[in-house]
This record gives sequence, structure tokens and C-alpha cells, in this order.
Amino acid sequence: MFKYICKRLLYIVLTLFVILTATFFLMNKLPGTPFDDERFSMLPPEDQALVLEQYGLNEPVYIQYLKYVQNILKGKFGESYVYAGQDVSDVLTHRIGPSVLVGAQAVLLGLTVGLILGILAAWKHNTGIDYFTMIVAVLGVSVPNFVLAALLQYFIGLKWGILPVAFWESWSSSILPSIALSVSVIAMIARFIRTEMLDVLQQDYIITAKAKGLSKLKVLMNHAVRNSIIPVITILGPIIVNIFTGSLAVENIYSIPGIGSLFVDSIKMNDYSTIMAICICYSAFYILVILVTDVLYSLIDPRIRLISNRAE
Amino acid sequence: MKKSALSFILIFMLVFSLVACNSNTNTNTDNTKQDALNVYVSTEINTLIQWASSNDTSFTILNNAFEGLYRLDTNSQPQPALAKDYKVSEDGLTYTFYLKDNIKWSNGTEITANDFVYAWLKQMSKEATNGYSFIMNDYIVGGNEYFSEDISAEEVGVKAIDEKTFEVTLIQPTPYFQRLTVLPMFFPLNEEFVTSQGDNYGLSADAMIYSGPYVIKNYDIASGCNLAKNDKYWDTDNVAINDINVRVIKDCGAALNAYNAGQISKVTLQSTDVPAYKDSEEFHSGSNFRTDYIQFNTTNEKLSNVKIRQALSYAIDRNVLVDVILADGSGTGVGMIPYGMNGDGKKTFRELNGDINTFDAEKAKQLWAEGVEELGYTPELTILVSDENVVKTIATFVQSQFKANLDIDVKIDSKTLKARNEIMDGKVSGVTYDMAITAWGADYDDAMTYLDLWTNGTPYRGNYVSDEYNSLVAQAKQETDNQTRTELLLQAEKILCSEDMVAAPLYYRGFAYLQKPNIENLTVHSFGPPIEFKYANFK
Amino acid sequence: MMKKDNISKDLFIKAKVKEDEKDKIVRPKLTALQDGWIRLKKNKAAICCLFILIIIILLSCFAPVFSKYKYYETDYLITFNSPSPDHWFGTDQFGRDLWARIWYGARISLIIGFAAAFLDLFVGVTYGSVSALIGGKTDTVMQRIIEVLIGIPHLIIVILLMMVLPAGIITIVVALAITGWVNMARLVRAQILKLKNQEFVLAARVLGTSNKEIIKKHLIPNTVGVIVINAMFTIPSAIFTEAFLSFIGIGLQEPAASLGVLINNGYQVLHNYPYLLIFPAVVIILIMVCFSILGDGLRDAFDPRMRK
Repeated sequence: MFKYICKRLLYIVLTLFVILTATFFLMNKLPGTPFDDERFSMLPPEDQALVLEQYGLNEPVYIQYLKYVQNILKGKFGESYVYAGQDVSDVLTHRIGPSVLVGAQAVLLGLTVGLILGILAAWKHNTGIDYFTMIVAVLGVSVPNFVLAALLQYFIGLKWGILPVAFWESWSSSILPSIALSVSVIAMIARFIRTEMLDVLQQDYIITAKAKGLSKLKVLMNHAVRNSIIPVITILGPIIVNIFTGSLAVENIYSIPGIGSLFVDSIKMNDYSTIMAICICYSAFYILVILVTDVLYSLIDPRIRLISNRAE
Repeated sequence: MKKSALSFILIFMLVFSLVACNSNTNTNTDNTKQDALNVYVSTEINTLIQWASSNDTSFTILNNAFEGLYRLDTNSQPQPALAKDYKVSEDGLTYTFYLKDNIKWSNGTEITANDFVYAWLKQMSKEATNGYSFIMNDYIVGGNEYFSEDISAEEVGVKAIDEKTFEVTLIQPTPYFQRLTVLPMFFPLNEEFVTSQGDNYGLSADAMIYSGPYVIKNYDIASGCNLAKNDKYWDTDNVAINDINVRVIKDCGAALNAYNAGQISKVTLQSTDVPAYKDSEEFHSGSNFRTDYIQFNTTNEKLSNVKIRQALSYAIDRNVLVDVILADGSGTGVGMIPYGMNGDGKKTFRELNGDINTFDAEKAKQLWAEGVEELGYTPELTILVSDENVVKTIATFVQSQFKANLDIDVKIDSKTLKARNEIMDGKVSGVTYDMAITAWGADYDDAMTYLDLWTNGTPYRGNYVSDEYNSLVAQAKQETDNQTRTELLLQAEKILCSEDMVAAPLYYRGFAYLQKPNIENLTVHSFGPPIEFKYANFK
Repeated sequence: MMKKDNISKDLFIKAKVKEDEKDKIVRPKLTALQDGWIRLKKNKAAICCLFILIIIILLSCFAPVFSKYKYYETDYLITFNSPSPDHWFGTDQFGRDLWARIWYGARISLIIGFAAAFLDLFVGVTYGSVSALIGGKTDTVMQRIIEVLIGIPHLIIVILLMMVLPAGIITIVVALAITGWVNMARLVRAQILKLKNQEFVLAARVLGTSNKEIIKKHLIPNTVGVIVINAMFTIPSAIFTEAFLSFIGIGLQEPAASLGVLINNGYQVLHNYPYLLIFPAVVIILIMVCFSILGDGLRDAFDPRMRK
């Protein structure tokens, strides 16, 4: 186990390095520089050169790259080009909170509702609730979350006036975006649980339990649910990652001061240091989530061996 | 089974840790009071450091938390603010400003002439990263030399004669200099405080001291800031609204939803929403001193022929653009200088110069045919635009007009603003542009803010070099007689937008907005600082 | 209970089978594809979705051709017209016919989806099968590369690529394919490794079948199912990603449109002209739903053991 985790950590470092390099050189190919604006171009050329020199942007790309790697190893993300005088790490720490709050709530809500729906659907197989769940499961992954977000804002926020529309001020502002993001989670979890449960319900030990005269509910709760929930962990990783990427459009609609909108803005503004920092943090998060779910799964289910788990 | 129990525990731990982190943010209390005004800005408040700020959002906050020598009133006329009066020498070169006696920073320190000297010198030096150094250096003696560090601060034409007297020496007579002092770049800064904060100055609300009608209570780049009445402000008795919450809402649709839900008191409408709200009592519109125009690249082979350029300009029916597509109070772009901008003091510039750029499909066709003949081939053109929604709409319109009136297919190339600028600046080797849609917003109420732009012959200005045009503008700069000066500028505009057709004006950007009926005197200016909270009050 | 000796041997008559028919397989020989098709035909929902998809594809091919209006044709007298007999889906800000634009947009979206899936398939299948077939050190190295790539968040790279490369359909397809093939490669490799060790491949090898023949006759036909199923999920996810990119403003150039561009434009005017959002949204949802149900159907049909 320990050896395995060490090996995985090595890959993480390697992956991060590849991402850092790829992003850096891609980013350098981004058209424009942070300074390309109308006022800047009105400066005499020698003054423009001075400014570029100040930020080290006049040097060859590979030198810039080496310097950047050096700074990263020291744990420095550098200063933002857009937010004058702000350290990128400060900018990021301000932005992570809202994104995590909305994302976490969405996953949590999706998990809860998805589990309930999935279990009910399997229990009452081929009844109304089952069909309803299947419809939700198909629609949930088919409706783009930004369409849903826009509609929710329009109807719940505006027409019915229940929740705030686009103000990031109190916790209530995070409800609508969380719901919008959670729908695809509900769909995926409900569908997954339903199939797992149907599978489990046919197993011999369920029949045995029934034969022993246990009540239906007890059979369901003690045997079926427990055994079908475990595999959910395998899809939880990708889901969490999806949510955090998918929030990009939703953040704009609900004016959430989060990471997703910062990322798009920073690309459009050529804010190099911010782009790099977000890519690195985001990738690190992504990889860690995958690692954690893999390890969790192997801890919980003895049938799964870590090494073969990844290969198949 | 034990393993699945473990899974339960793990999932519950996850649940609880998440709930726990929710409750933290839950304590954020809603601080909107009854007498608070809620408004929004459409971009992030990138910075509040005066010498680094360059966009309208930052200016909005700065203008209300700080103050300069003069402040625009509800009719956009400059009124004494920190200054009580000023005197101009006979040759028009020396301005002496006399400061009010009872003016204080929000921490109680007296505001003195030295605060102006410090702030202005900073703005004139390389330290100023907002790209606005020219707005002082073009006028003030020694500015450019100080920027390139050739002379010391003492030699620059800004001096504190005593605590309350501030003297500025200009390079040439500048009739609009007093109007410039309302801009955020000209606001004072307290040297002692700024240096004591070091690199932290301007990064948070308590790392600043304020001279304006409001103080900033808290500030977050991405979500906005809360303003409260500044009780140290000299005119605090005339500030009616106690609290103002400025929120960042980037999405137009979301902002309109927020307005309709009563969360904000004023919202800017997109063109497409105007028809639905036009008859509402809450509907208002106005226009900015901001011209959107097509910049032709005059050294580009395909567009080097002036007839081609003129044909393109004649082919655009700007009235349709303004009435049907924009419909938000924008003005038809009949010349480079927008409606309402000062001409000779009695009449506006537009009234004096008339409609230069008009729509004439026949003339367009004829000129195009002649141009094509002179050129020897039919040019295939591309129009370079930035990827903002409004600009893309305009480009689509212009494209369809060329198709309808000249029967040519013009391609649209949309890039991010930075990428577009890079190409327009000629910094991408081997890439030039044919024509581009761009805009210029007036820094001050005088035609010079526009016409001066085309004298430098840079790629951004279409590589336009004309001795005639340059000498007209240069003469106007030296001229002390207002009448002759205006004549020269009128002539220059005709050359720019008609004879040489360097730039084809499209429209003057308007803004349509909804405002709750219980608010009055929330003043919006057509140039310079965008909005004034000082005069606003609830009915 | 019957007694054993109650049944006499005369009750049994030996069947007469010709000597050369003893080896004959009575059931008609079916390839994996045919087999899957027979099973798919029994799944009504999937067939229904296939049908709808075909209609959508036909419409996107022919509706723009037969429509009175062109997708780029502007008419400033009829901006923002509600749906009417003249303009079935209404008109947009420039007086362009939404019916023509939606099907043109659907065409672009589908092209992007199919092209991305095809590229994925090409790169992924090649990589995966090379890795699995050669095996040994090559396999190890290729797998390590995949281990690294799998950790890269796709959307970030796609967005960066979109900004770096010149805008257009090809860019979107390339950007999606660059990040999308890894999954396909892993699936194909796993499938081939599994097949390589199965008895029928061993039997073929024992009988002296050449490597080429084994790949052609056994490995490819048995991998097709996995590939088709995965492609069925790649297409909608490519369409989805494109819509997402267009929504955040990194997409196609006017007057070209994809469903994502139309949704973005519709969202801007949701308040007053909701049909401009609803129609393209319905089309994209329909496409997604159909692909997802059809994909499920195909999975059930091709690989009954994988049914989930």
C-alpha cells in the first residue's frame, strides 16, 4: 500500500510537471501580451520596451520558463498582471472559497438526492418512481447546466422571488447555482445506484435474507443498500472534478466570484501568472481527487486490488 | 459488512465536514439597510491604486471615495471641490489653484498642496502603470523629461507655493485644463500614508485614506465593495445617501434579473432588451462621448485606394444600426466627434461641422467600381474585431451591409481584445490588418481628445501620415484664439473622415438604463468619471 | 417415483446424421455487428432514438438547403419576429431565420461531434492496439505516458488550445481530440489484452493462423463493440463541450453558428424573446437524450455482460 501510494505520488509530480510545461508554452503562444491595450500602444516604443523588461517579458521563452520553474520550486506564483500589486496566491485564496462552497454543496445535494432516487427506483422496479428516475437520469446529463442555471435564475430567482438572483453576499446566493450544478450529479448517481441495486437484489445472499424472514425494509437497508453504495466511490472522483470545471459558465450567470470565471478572464487578459497558478492548482486538485478515490475504494472493498484497478 | 460500515462513516464524515464549512460562510450577514443604495459594475474592480487604475469600474469607485480640485456637477460642469478657486496667468500657461481650508483625509490629516504634488508627480513618472501618464505629460512643463528620468522632481511644473496654494505650469495654453482636474489621475495622495503602507497601499479598504464623499468599508476585487458616508468630507452635509453597495455582476442578463428582483436600483440595458422596456417610467437613456469606428489600414495594399475606403463608408446605413440594432440611445456616427461635444463655446462641434459620414448606396457602388478598376482586382477584405458581444453584433451588421450594398463577402476575424490590439499595433510579424472596429472614449470635453490620435502615424491609427492633417492639429494646439482653433479642428475632422477616409465613424455609444423611481440625481457623465453618488438621494 | 427399468432402451432411436454434416453449425453465422443489431432491434427506446437522430441528421443536412432563407441572410425589417408560418422558429436580432440557423447550427455541432469522435477513435484505437499488441517494454512506456496524461484536466487544455489556434471548426475538433483519445486508448488496450488470452485466440494460434489474420478475424471484430459504444458517448460529449465553449464566448465566428452559439445568443435575450433560447436548447437536449439512450442500447446489444 505504502509503496503504491509513493508510486502514485511520483506520477503526480511528473504529471504536474508536464502540465506546467505544456501550459507555459501554450500560454506563450496566446496572442497578445498583458500590456496590449490602446493606451500602452500610445507610449513611445522605448518606454514600451522598458515596461516589458521590468516584467522579464523581453527574454527568450525558455529563460522565462526556467525562471518560472525556479519560482514555483520556491513556492512563488508571482504577481498578477491584471490586479495591480496583488500576489496571485492572494487572488486565488480569495476566489477558492465561493467555488468550493458551491461545488461541495452541489456534490452533496446530488449525492443525497441521487442515492434516494436510485434506491427507490430499484426497490420499486418498473413502477412510476422507477420511470421518473430514469427520465431524470437521462435528462440530467442531457440538459447543459448553463441552460438550467439560466432558467432557474429566471423562474425561481425572478418570477417567484424566492432566492437572490445574482448577488454574492450571503449563503442563500449559493443555493441556486448549487442546484443547477447538482442536477447532473443526481442523474449520474441515481442511475448508477439503480443498476447496482438491481444487480445486488438478485444475489443469493439477498434471497437467503428474505428466506430467513427478514422484513423487506431490513433486507433493503442492511444488505442491498450497503453493498450497492460502495462502488459509488469509483464515479465520485470524476463527478467532483466535473462539477468544479462545469461551474465556469454557472459562475458567470450567478456572479459568483470563483475560480472558473477567473480562469477565463485571465486567459482573455493574458494574465500569465494567474493562468499558470490556476492550471497548476486545478490539476493538482484533479489528480488528488483521483488518487483519493482510488485509495478509498481499495480500503473499502477488499476485492479490488489497487495495481490491477488502474490497468483495466 | 464491516467494510461497508467504514464506507458509511467516510461518507458521513464528508457530509459533516462540508456542512461545517457551509456554516462558516453562513455568518455573512446581509448588510443592506433601508437607506442603502445598491448598484452594480459590470467588470471586476481590478485595482483601486490610483496610479494603476485605467478602467471605468475602478474610476467609478475612485471618483466617489476620492476627490480632486474640481468635481463635475449634475450637468457635467466642473465645480470647485477641494479647490475653492483658481487663477490663470495672462499667457494661459500658469494655473494657480487655491485649496479650501477645511479639507481633511478620512483619518483626520489635513489635505495640502503637497498631497497634489506627490500624486501628480507619481502619475507623471514611470511608476504609473495605468498608461495615463500622457494626460499630464502632454501638458505640464517637464513631464516627458521627468518620465524618462532626465530631470528631477523640482524642475517639473507642479509646485506647492504654500500649504493651500498649488501651481501648475503648462507647455501650451490649454483651454480645457480645469476640466482635466476632475479625472481620478489628478486626485491627491497623502505621501506619508502611502509610503507607510508600502506595497499594501490600495489592496484593502484599511490600506487607504479617503478624500471624497464616501469611504470604502470593504473591498473585494471580484464581488464588489461597500461605501459609507465620509464624515470628514468638507461637504458631508450635502451627501444624502449613507451607504452604497457596489456589486460586481458581469452578466447582463443576470443584472437585469437582479434589477427586476429589486436587488439593485439601476441597470444598464442591452440593446436587445430596450424595445421591451422603452415605455417604462424607469427607462432612461443617454450617450457617451465615445465613438466606435472602423479603422482602415491605409498602408494595406487592398485599402491603400481611398475610393475603396470611401465606398465602404458610404455602404453602411448607420441609421439602421442605431435605430434597429442598438436602439439604446446611441447616436448615428456622422463624424468622428460625438454629438454634444464642445465646439467654439457657443455651438457644439457637430453642429458646426454637419454630417460628414452618410449612407449612400449608389455612391458606394460607384466608388467601389472605380476603386476596383484602379486597383486592378476585387479585394477580399477581413474585418478585425474584439470578442465582446456588442462589437461582434456591430461587425455582423457591417458585414451584412457590405454584402447588401456592395455585394462583397467580408470576413470577420474576432480575437480577444489583447490579441486584436497586438495585431493592430503591428507587433505580430507578418500579420497586418485590413480594417478593424475600435473605439475611443473622450478623456475631456474637447475635439482634440480625438483628433490628436491620428498624428503619430502608428499602425493602430492605420499608419496614417499626412502633413496637412498633422500641421492642422499642431497649429490648433498653439492657437490661443478659440475661433481660429475651432476652424482648424473642423477642417482636420473633414480630412480624417471624408477626404482621406482614414476612419469611418459608426456610432456614438449610448446607454439605456432602468432606474428605480425612488432615486433621483444619480448622475451619469458622458466622459471622464462615469457616475456620481454624491448628489443622489431617495425621494 | 418411477422405477429405473420402466424405461426400455427401444424407446430411443439413433438419429441419422450424414458424416459430413456432423460439424455443421446450424445457426446462421453472425458477425458481432449483426448479432448486436438483432439485439438492438428488440430495444424499442433505442430504435426510437435512432430514428429521431436520423431525422435530426437529415434535417441538418437538407433543411438549410431547402429553406427559403439562408442562415446568414439578414433583414432589418423583421428583427425579433416570433414564430410564424413564414418563419417557423421566428427570427433573431438581425432578422435571420431561426429555423435555417438552427439546422445549420445542428449540422456544425454534429460535424464537430462526429469529427472529434472519429479522431479520438483513430488515435485512441491505434495507440491502444499498438500498446496491447506489441506489449513488453513498449507497452510499459506507453502506459506510463497515459498515466501522466490522464491527470491533465481536459477543459483547461481545450480552452488554451482554442485561444492559441486560429478560430474555427477544425480548431475545436483538434482541441477536443487532443485531450479525448486517452480514454479510448485505455479501453481498446484493455479489451485486446483480454481477448489475447482467451481460448479462441489461442486455438487460432495453435492452428497456425498468422498474426495478421488473428488481428483481422478475431481481435478487430470483437473490439468493435467497445469502440462503437465509446464513440456513442464521445459524440454527445464533444457537442456538449463545444456548446460550453461557445457559451463562455470561445467558439465560432459569425455568421456561422453552432447550437452552442445559438444558445449563447438566446440566453442574452431570454427575458423578451425566450424562443431564441428554447428552440436551440430543445434541439441540443434532444440530440443528447437520443445519443445517451442509443448508447445504452448499443452497450446492452453488443456486450450483454456489461449491461449496467
